[in-house]
Amino acid sequence: MIEVKALCKRYGPLLAVKDLDFHVGKGSILGFIGPNGAGKTTTMRILTGYLPATSGDAWVAGFDVFESPMEVKRRVGYLPERPPLYPELSVGDYLYFVAEIRRVPARERYRRVGEVMELVGLSGWERRLLGSLSKGYRQRVGLAQALVHDPQVLILDEPTSGLDPGQTVGIRELLRDLGGDRTVILSTHILAEVEAACDHVVLINQGRIVASGSLEQVRHEATGGIVYGAELQGEDIIMAVAELEETTRVEPLPGDGAFQALKIWADSDPRPAIARLAANSGWQVRALEKITPSLEDAFLAIVGREPSAHRPGRSSR
Amino acid sequence: MTAVWAIFKKELRIYFVSPLAYVFLSVFLFLSGLFFYLGLTVNGEASLRVMLGNLAITMLFVLPMLTMRHFAEEQKAGTFELLMTSPVPLGSLILGKWAASIVLCLLMFLGTLIFPAVLAYYGDPDWGVMATSYLGLILCSFAFCAAGLFASSLTTDQVAAGLAGIIILLPFWLIGSATSFTTNETLRQILESAALLTHLRGFTRGVIDSADLAYFASFSFIFLFLTYRTLESRRWR
Amino acid sequence: MNRSLKRKLSYGTNASLVTVFVVALVVLLFGVSERHRFRWDFSAEGSNRLQRDTLNKIRLIQLAGEPVRITGFTAQSGKQDSYYKNRALRDLLEEMDLASGSISCRFIDFDRERLTAEALGVTQYATVVVQRGEGRVDLRDRDLFRRRGRGENRTLEFLGEAAINQALSRLMSDQKRVIYSLVGHGEFKIDSTDPDGLAEVVALLEQEHYEVKELDLVRDRAEGSPPAVPDDASALLLARPRTMLSLPESDALVEYVSRGGAVMVLVDVGLPPPRLLARLGISVPDGTVMDKRMVYPYNDRPVLLYGRHSITRDLTDMDLVTVLSHVAPLKWADPAPDGIMYEGLLKTSRRGWIEMGGATENGLPVFDSRYDTRGPVTVALAIRALPGKGLVMANSPAARLVIMGDADWSTNAVINEGPGNKTFAVNTFRWLVGDEERLSVVGRPTSVRKLALTEEDTHMIRWVALGLGPVCVLMIGAAVWASRRGR
Repeated sequence: MIEVKALCKRYGPLLAVKDLDFHVGKGSILGFIGPNGAGKTTTMRILTGYLPATSGDAWVAGFDVFESPMEVKRRVGYLPERPPLYPELSVGDYLYFVAEIRRVPARERYRRVGEVMELVGLSGWERRLLGSLSKGYRQRVGLAQALVHDPQVLILDEPTSGLDPGQTVGIRELLRDLGGDRTVILSTHILAEVEAACDHVVLINQGRIVASGSLEQVRHEATGGIVYGAELQGEDIIMAVAELEETTRVEPLPGDGAFQALKIWADSDPRPAIARLAANSGWQVRALEKITPSLEDAFLAIVGREPSAHRPGRSSR
Repeated sequence: MTAVWAIFKKELRIYFVSPLAYVFLSVFLFLSGLFFYLGLTVNGEASLRVMLGNLAITMLFVLPMLTMRHFAEEQKAGTFELLMTSPVPLGSLILGKWAASIVLCLLMFLGTLIFPAVLAYYGDPDWGVMATSYLGLILCSFAFCAAGLFASSLTTDQVAAGLAGIIILLPFWLIGSATSFTTNETLRQILESAALLTHLRGFTRGVIDSADLAYFASFSFIFLFLTYRTLESRRWR
Repeated sequence: MNRSLKRKLSYGTNASLVTVFVVALVVLLFGVSERHRFRWDFSAEGSNRLQRDTLNKIRLIQLAGEPVRITGFTAQSGKQDSYYKNRALRDLLEEMDLASGSISCRFIDFDRERLTAEALGVTQYATVVVQRGEGRVDLRDRDLFRRRGRGENRTLEFLGEAAINQALSRLMSDQKRVIYSLVGHGEFKIDSTDPDGLAEVVALLEQEHYEVKELDLVRDRAEGSPPAVPDDASALLLARPRTMLSLPESDALVEYVSRGGAVMVLVDVGLPPPRLLARLGISVPDGTVMDKRMVYPYNDRPVLLYGRHSITRDLTDMDLVTVLSHVAPLKWADPAPDGIMYEGLLKTSRRGWIEMGGATENGLPVFDSRYDTRGPVTVALAIRALPGKGLVMANSPAARLVIMGDADWSTNAVINEGPGNKTFAVNTFRWLVGDEERLSVVGRPTSVRKLALTEEDTHMIRWVALGLGPVCVLMIGAAVWASRRGR
């Protein structure tokens, strides 16, 4: 559905996006993660046809973004970081206007506007002026405007930013409901959101993809394999565990009191071996577990590997 | 075309709910009333020539204030992104906004129709001249709106856009008088052809001249075109 | 590569070049449209269309090649009608400017562009200078505008088009119109700047594109032939000959008149009138014309009334006074000789008289019924001698003559005393030479449609004009605001 190849965007001397390659299949939800200023917004703007790329290619819904931007724009619903609202207009007028410019056929417009308002929970708010809405409702109207022409592709730039937890959950549920055969790109720096909603993740930092794939893959890639944790009490624990056949690396963690905490990388599950070893050596075992790394860990691990996590740039606007 | 129409309706809707439009409208009507009254009492003539001449100058200051909002505010509020990611060609967007500003001007002119009515009540004005005068004023508003849109595309600050609009238009008024400072015949003729009032005079006395029409058409086209290029370049700069 | 080229063209430096190119192209197209104009006039009177005469003349100028430059200066601001005068003049010049590339017109603010005015030697408001090559004709306020009627019905007529038209004719015609001034009998000298010279009046005539030359009939005659007035004479001036003309000279004058000539004769008190006058039925009685009204320091300067004639119409309309001093009365034969038609130009009121002597008061003569003749006394006459009857040959145009009982009025000393004197001189020669067609052309009104408003009307209009519109708009605005509140 979305195909990006060797995409570059340069603002003057500044390279905002460099050699971006990724692919999003039909019906899947892609999480676009990265620190502020990583190039998320720039990439999304290129995909929606708002910005031209300096080089590289992008196809959305089967159309080349540079060759036939109008076709792409017809098929994409886009929610910018800040919902693009006219404070002077009422909710109904605004959505009707968006339906018009997004080429919803005239006889379907009222119906579509009604539908999306219901979908995002704005029923009965037609006559409210956009200027008088709260942040959460503005976000809902923004989402409604992205959905009004029933797009195949949804591109949402930080759809939950600035919302309170309850609202965030609401939006998240909505996104899941929307799913189906729609392709969604969602940018965020809140990782829980991705874990809750996305099938695929692209991790981007300083304009470059640092990891991409399914959630599992990214985690794996980020942390370099499956990690196990153990808390043991005894003699020469580290050496003994490291000498086991299954373990590849052992790292001591600061423990408390008599127990030594270990972080263990292994090719296959080392827990039976450790248990055996503990029984044989007379160690006390307090914990022996498989650690599923969180995306946060992955994120921090990856971003931490980069020379500097933050740099100023226009892409952060 | 649908897009032009949609943009046009939206712009008009926003115009009519913003208090600023009403303030400008009433200021404009008050000034035109003043010019009409002065023209009438000083010269005692059943014609709008004085008023229409002055209105063009008034418009030069008022219209940029009415058009300053267009692109400046869209860019500031982020709605420009909405428009540019919708299947709306940039040209349609500009045309829609231009048409909306022109219609607002036409409404202002509609308000000034009381003055011909007063003249018809008390005297016998020359309707042919009146019609061409209004035509001239309308063409003038075409050109001014185009320049105002251009000014609005230059910046994201409304007030700056308004001032820029005035600064863009002012020279076209002033070079008319600058012709008296030059002795160079060619330069003088160039200045004269570029001057606004040169091309309005014909209309105010009942003459429609193809060159005057061409002037306002080129004026509008150039500024609409520049608006197009500026907005486009805003995306790649 | 195709794509990257496309990107390059639409963005960056190339895009700016494309922009500049397109703008330049549009400006160029506009420039072309300026040169190929179509104009449609929608005014009710068609007042912006040039008259057929003017258009023909413009075509002639185009064919002749030498371009014409017309420079108009504004009327004095603040003066009555200056607004309309400026407007009429400017509109006309603009139309003429656009009518052809061979005519370039400018309308200049006299106060703001003093230098231009000085460069052209223009010293008066509302002057139009028509130039072609070396030639130049100046048109004054009085040539361009004429007032008709009084009070409520007063209208301002704009004669500009006819006047410029005529100026163009004069510039187009190759030979200058020559006025010969007769010499050899103690006449006033045309080039003298002394009080009794005619330099001022001659300068005025030269500005009007006449050439004034001296003519000595005896000296300038061809060898072996009788004296004759040259063929290129447009008019002949007899500026107060002190002595009698010789018989051959008188015959030459009569012969000139019989060819349809134009003569202005200035006689004076106590001098022998030329014999030509007798042929026209004019005699100059003895005595001096006096006036009891002490308007002037001398009572030999009568207050004069104007006759209805194209020469004096301007003066009547503009209410200009003509000053004659020490004037001889004129008398005409009744009935007039065959083919002779008299038209009075100047005469005294009934209070004037012909002083022959008798009673005086404070050393000044007063009317004495024993000797004097009561007014009105005619002191200037226009005469038309019709062809084929008596004096003038059948195949000639009618001869025109102006006879005046005074000569001093035209001298450097007196010409400026009466505001009408110069106009009188210019108009006289225009009429003599036949340039008066302009005078008879009915100018177009300056297309002013006036409103007669009472004070009450004005009040009413003030409220409607200033109050109604803005208040309505503000009310609508307030209504919209109120309906949106709380939404």
